[in-house]
Amino acid sequence: MKLKLISCEIFFREMEFLLKETPHQIDVEFMQKGLHDIPTEEMLKRLQEQVDTASKQNYDAILLGYGLCNNGLDGLTARNIQLVLPRAHDCITLFLGSRARYRKYFDENPGTFFKTTGWIERDYVADELKDISIPTQLGMDMSYEQLVNKYGEDNAEFLWEELCDTEKNYSQITFIEMGMEPNDSFEKTAKDEANSKGWKFKKVEGSLELLHSLLLGEWDSENFLVIPPGAKIIPAHTENIVRYTQDK
Amino acid sequence: MARNEELFEAVLKGKRKDVSALVQTDIDAGTNVESILMESMVPAMAEIGDRFSRNEAYVPEMLIAARAMQAGLDLLDPLLQAAGHEPIGKVAIGTVKGDLHDIGKNLVAMMLKGAGFEVMDLGVDCDVDKYKEAVENGAQIVLLSALLTTTMPYMKEIVEGLNGSSAKILIGGAPVTQEYANEIGADGYSDDANTAVHAAKAALGIAA
Repeated sequence: MKLKLISCEIFFREMEFLLKETPHQIDVEFMQKGLHDIPTEEMLKRLQEQVDTASKQNYDAILLGYGLCNNGLDGLTARNIQLVLPRAHDCITLFLGSRARYRKYFDENPGTFFKTTGWIERDYVADELKDISIPTQLGMDMSYEQLVNKYGEDNAEFLWEELCDTEKNYSQITFIEMGMEPNDSFEKTAKDEANSKGWKFKKVEGSLELLHSLLLGEWDSENFLVIPPGAKIIPAHTENIVRYTQDK
Repeated sequence: MARNEELFEAVLKGKRKDVSALVQTDIDAGTNVESILMESMVPAMAEIGDRFSRNEAYVPEMLIAARAMQAGLDLLDPLLQAAGHEPIGKVAIGTVKGDLHDIGKNLVAMMLKGAGFEVMDLGVDCDVDKYKEAVENGAQIVLLSALLTTTMPYMKEIVEGLNGSSAKILIGGAPVTQEYANEIGADGYSDDANTAVHAAKAALGIAA
């Protein structure tokens, strides 16, 4: 098959690793991780542009290296080429290999930040997205000094606690080891961050299975949603996570 | 008494210490405590909320106004109680089970307080029982917040768990939509802290 992959760059190393193993011809477009931090309609607009561009060529399918991503893919529409989307709330399902495993881990480990190679080396918002990023719009990415200058010392301290200390309810970093890390430097970075914050550190083995199946063209309906031409992705609000509709 | 413009401005600008001093001066002068609250402070919070809705004020401005309001309320509360003042309604708010995010929830709680509601803040990671308890303690509205699509589906369980109670249920948070509110049978939805106040008033039939 000739396929197009539109993927979040958070999977950069995993995808590069797996692309070598697929028999299919796959053209790849990596998208900025920062799309995660802008309003959903802005994320959708940028992804739809990519789908529309790819739809002008002869692909058998367009693969999406995404989950529902807090509704950032809600409304994404297949033009004349089918889309394939893993059934996942977000990338952590794709790192852990199944949404059942993510659900279990999420429930058993409240307040956890997940780290992978991508979440360590690509966890930033590109400059051109900063103005529309939600943290910027909420005033969450201001420095303490900026808060003091704008709102005075008394209010700055309060705003810092309310808005900027977004990690106050978190207590753990879990490093998901995918097996394709070049060395242990990523794990060490994650561990050092946990130590510096006084948080628990855990390591779990990830699974490339879902991403691998996506690139192999093995799209079983349990784990993947295949969106036919003309249909659009919408949230399912069930364990299936996503479904499609032909409604306009 | 007409609006105390100085106090109105101090709340609006988030000047906590000025608000305390002005409220104390009014109290000492024997001004009716209910009118200090309802004619100067509550209108200031409504104004900041409306400015927010028009994109003329942002979250930090709303937060500091709410905090300044609270400084005044700390002085007024005992006097209001002694005067038999009733809040315009009693509500409970919390972030749903599994979700530990509270910036939005806190902001909505402050805006509701600023509008004259009595607010029970249930915190984060709230299960059905916590909301039930709040209703037993007199909450006329429960407000559910979630930031993640992983945790949002728990709202359905809460709506089912509160089935048969008289309390209204309002939902909100980044992934929440009006369609989802309809789907699970919630009484209302709002997408920001200012409209949440309007929705809460509407749910209790209070004029805006």
